[in-house]
Amino acid sequence: MNKLDAKGLKAGYGKKEVLRGIDISMGEGEFCALLGLNGSGKTTLLKALCGLIPAKEGCCRIDGKPYLEFNERKRSRLISYTPQRHSVISGTTLLDAVLMGYNPYLPLLSSPGRRERLSASAALERVGFIGMDGTGFDELSEGQKQLVILARAIVQESPVMLFDEPVSSLDFVNCHHVLRLIRDIIRENKRAGLITLHDPNLALYYCDRVLLIDKGVIAGEILPERTPLPQIRERLSLLYGSIDVLEYDESYYMVKRS
Amino acid sequence: MRSAFGERTEILFFAALALLSGAFVLSVCVGKYPITVNEILNILSGADNVSEMTRNVFFTLRLPRTAMAMLSGFSLGLAGSVFQILFKNPLASPDIIGVASGANLGAASAIMLVGGSMAAVAGGAFAGGILAVTLVMLLVRATRANSTATYVLSGIIISACAQAAIMLLKFFADAENELAAMDFWAMGSFGGVTDTKFLAVMPICLFGVAGMILFRRQVFLLSLDEDEARMLGVRVKLIRVVLLSFSTLAVASVVSVTGLISFIGLIAPHIAKLAAKRNSFPVCVLSGLTGSLVLLIADCLARTLASAELPISILTTLIGVPFLVLFMSRRKEGKRL
Repeated sequence: MNKLDAKGLKAGYGKKEVLRGIDISMGEGEFCALLGLNGSGKTTLLKALCGLIPAKEGCCRIDGKPYLEFNERKRSRLISYTPQRHSVISGTTLLDAVLMGYNPYLPLLSSPGRRERLSASAALERVGFIGMDGTGFDELSEGQKQLVILARAIVQESPVMLFDEPVSSLDFVNCHHVLRLIRDIIRENKRAGLITLHDPNLALYYCDRVLLIDKGVIAGEILPERTPLPQIRERLSLLYGSIDVLEYDESYYMVKRS
Repeated sequence: MRSAFGERTEILFFAALALLSGAFVLSVCVGKYPITVNEILNILSGADNVSEMTRNVFFTLRLPRTAMAMLSGFSLGLAGSVFQILFKNPLASPDIIGVASGANLGAASAIMLVGGSMAAVAGGAFAGGILAVTLVMLLVRATRANSTATYVLSGIIISACAQAAIMLLKFFADAENELAAMDFWAMGSFGGVTDTKFLAVMPICLFGVAGMILFRRQVFLLSLDEDEARMLGVRVKLIRVVLLSFSTLAVASVVSVTGLISFIGLIAPHIAKLAAKRNSFPVCVLSGLTGSLVLLIADCLARTLASAELPISILTTLIGVPFLVLFMSRRKEGKRL
């Protein structure tokens, strides 16, 4: 069964319509990438999908529930969102930063208990911080901070996870580390993940499905495991112009054609 | 609770409480009519070898005054740190959304229009503070841009209007009595605190403080970007209004009795944060304790430095500035808290 189903989604800012009818569905354990040039509507699509900007038309469901009609609290149990630039959480410990992910489940005025602390600590271990619960968030590097935000999304336990360019400010090594973790977590926990990326090679390498968005509509789809090379090349060049796609070690890489 | 507190914060709590107890005893003793520690012990143990005068001073003036200074410092310090987190701005203080100028206008109006009895001034100041913040919230609502920046701008607008109205009142005020009363109110003092006044505002103030403490987890969620907070299930607009209302209640009830107290809401959070090197809710409470401590010391000095009582704001500034400079120069380069 599909985790997320969006049909005919239209949204924009003010009178300007950025998304002009988007259909997306994602299955259990599926990790999808959203590729598109600047201004194509990637971020808008993520924001519309999680209800941060109102949908003008269309119907979105998670596990069959019309979650866009819910309030923030109920909605955040179904969908999580990792923004491009996480906020500055100064002066807090890693554990406290991760515990924020429990907010949708805790009664308004109560604090996280022992059980929440233990599993937040486990989530931190899952992303590689062992015995660092009390470390200050400020002391981490940018890549490490992104991992803490990922741990926070893990404890939020939402069936659908959205990521808005989570690796755009990371170096090569960190970038691959974070993406591998995201993919593994989505598969292990049978969630559905949608991520926007700038680099098509990362999308082709890590994702089960690559959606190409152009001028507010889905212009094409690539299944890196199944779509044949000529079609991948053709679909990517619709977006990126004069490019070529090479195969290396069972994966595809896009390069600029001179 | 270990990780929420941290050992350093725990030690700071004990230190703050110890200093505060010392300051409390000092504050009860000193003043125009000194009371010795022995006399206090006698009063408390019910012995009858204390003069009626001493007993009266202790119960109706000194104790309420000391308690009021502690409560005020705590509310202002706590509200200050909540504001700095909510507005993501280290320079934010409760005055930012107009509670101080509103209260000032309320007090000035009471002095001018209803003769300036103690109760009228307090009531006017409280109502003025609440009214100003309500207007700010309505203005924010009307603009439909519910961001913290809009709150700051609306606060500036409402404060400016209140200041203009105060100037108008001052212009027509009688220079001998009314104008002096207005200016004196705006400098703050614990001189006029009595048991009745303290007991009248304490419940309101504690209600506001309790509200901020109960919503402690939400305070930190609101320190995130708005989108991020919403996607963590925070009903941002609602919770923000709730928290601002609680802190306004606490601050307005305090200033209605004491007049304006400058600087505490700004420096107490900084002292607490720099000392604790963390920023969790216990540190906000620590900021409250710091506020109490600074205000108690300031009030003791206000009573003893000159033959007449000095306005409290002069002393809070004088004490607060060196504290802040000391901590500022000690903090490491490039670390922002």
